[in-house]
Amino acid sequence: MDPTAFLVAPLVIAGMSAGLAALISITDRYVNDYGDVVIDINQGSKKLDVKGGANMLVTLAESGIYIPSACGGRGSCGECKVKVNSDVGPHLPTELPYLDEKQMEQNIRLSCQIKLKADVGIEVPEYLFNIKKYSGTVESIRDLTHDIKEVYVNLGDEEVSFRAGQYGQFEVPPYDKIKERTQRAYSMSSKPSDKNHLEFLIRLVPGGIVTTYVHERLKEGEKINIVGPFGDFYVRDTEATMICVAGGSGMAPFKSIFYQGVENGLFEKRDIWYFFGARTEKDMFYLDELRELDSKYERFHFVPALSEPEPGTDWQGATGLITEVLDNYLKEKISTETPKEGYLCGSPGMLDACMSVMRDNDMAEEAIYFDKFA
Amino acid sequence: MKMSPEYQKAQKNMEPGVITASGFLGDDHRPIIEIITEDEERMAQAGLDFEETGERLRELLMAGRRGMGEPVTVEGKWLVKTDETRGYLASPFEDGIFRKMNTVVEPVGPEHKGLRLMYSELSLHLLEKWHFLQGKGSPFRLEPDTMRRVLGV
Repeated sequence: MDPTAFLVAPLVIAGMSAGLAALISITDRYVNDYGDVVIDINQGSKKLDVKGGANMLVTLAESGIYIPSACGGRGSCGECKVKVNSDVGPHLPTELPYLDEKQMEQNIRLSCQIKLKADVGIEVPEYLFNIKKYSGTVESIRDLTHDIKEVYVNLGDEEVSFRAGQYGQFEVPPYDKIKERTQRAYSMSSKPSDKNHLEFLIRLVPGGIVTTYVHERLKEGEKINIVGPFGDFYVRDTEATMICVAGGSGMAPFKSIFYQGVENGLFEKRDIWYFFGARTEKDMFYLDELRELDSKYERFHFVPALSEPEPGTDWQGATGLITEVLDNYLKEKISTETPKEGYLCGSPGMLDACMSVMRDNDMAEEAIYFDKFA
Repeated sequence: MKMSPEYQKAQKNMEPGVITASGFLGDDHRPIIEIITEDEERMAQAGLDFEETGERLRELLMAGRRGMGEPVTVEGKWLVKTDETRGYLASPFEDGIFRKMNTVVEPVGPEHKGLRLMYSELSLHLLEKWHFLQGKGSPFRLEPDTMRRVLGV
């Protein structure tokens, strides 16, 4: 028997596989080549010539139009809605959980789920045209608690304008099994007047892609990208008493709001109550700074509360779940005569619970503000 | 072991980057039907029933929600932290969507140091309906022996 005979079968199979791969590649190139397409934004306000084939969210971002997306385009947050004026096919099952009947009728779509195959017209809020991608260098990383880090990013010569309370999308590079860059939304905690920097408070979420990266890998001096600013969580220009509630990294937008407040005289104009909940003292942070504001400004009241203070510690503040403390103060200590606005930052569960307490205490639901990305 | 088209589709959906960035399989590259079969045996060896275990873990998840993002001590036995973010995750079996809600359960006491379970609403659905505990190396893997020790069964 020819000693090379045993090679024939593998070589034939390898040759056939290579042929098939080439055929698939060529077919993909021609069949799935959608060529150039035009995205008409806001009926001619902007026209983008782009390459078809990718999803609308990514394609728009590559052209400098950043649609909010808390999940980074995975179809799991429902934030990246746009109104589509062209036929891009029926709503996909992945879109349905995020759309109500009226939105379906208006052909509101999740831009991350729409593949661009032909020219398309869309409508987006004009303010999105001002959203940019910033490249910065991590100037400092500070541990605020065992699971919250303060990340301060230097934008170099670039300047950013945002309203205190807004958020940005923090982008981290691929690592381990994560094969692509990933973005998540976090509120800015820095002062808007600090135009060359952005600061974020990032709490470790077990299993979270971005928070794990920030807590285990991010280093001072590292370059990172931030897209923003987004969001309509900001202080309304009224004289109503502000009832602010947060826990954990929900501190971020309030830090920005309060430190801007020092500069623009917010504390002289209106009463502000800030309820901040944590489990134990080791979960509390910025206590000294906030107590200093409390003692300096007569109309600013800081109410830190612990839900499970450790025995043997001399905690002098309020105890109980933050909703219980809030309820008690709304009933007993805060004037029921003055109009109030609610400002909330936290998990969906916390938002629901606080809104319920506020409603029960006759606060108007339309005057309760929060960011929906949490 | 042959897999039905339903399981084959689910296995594809469990790859990293399809539903979640890190996927559901960890370092385990076996067909999911093999993972499930082996875990059914290991659950039986650990003396755990899928339905009862799912129910208990769900009770702890919901108890953790009361903390609104902060950990809470439940029945004096467990420290439970439930994190919620907006939105939903689809089941890899394409049979439902689930709130993005992660829970970490740690038994209280120095003798249990380092022992913990991490799961989501979707993990519980996969456990109860499909007996799928995720692949070894997945951060959300529900190891039968770890569940037994954490729950104190």
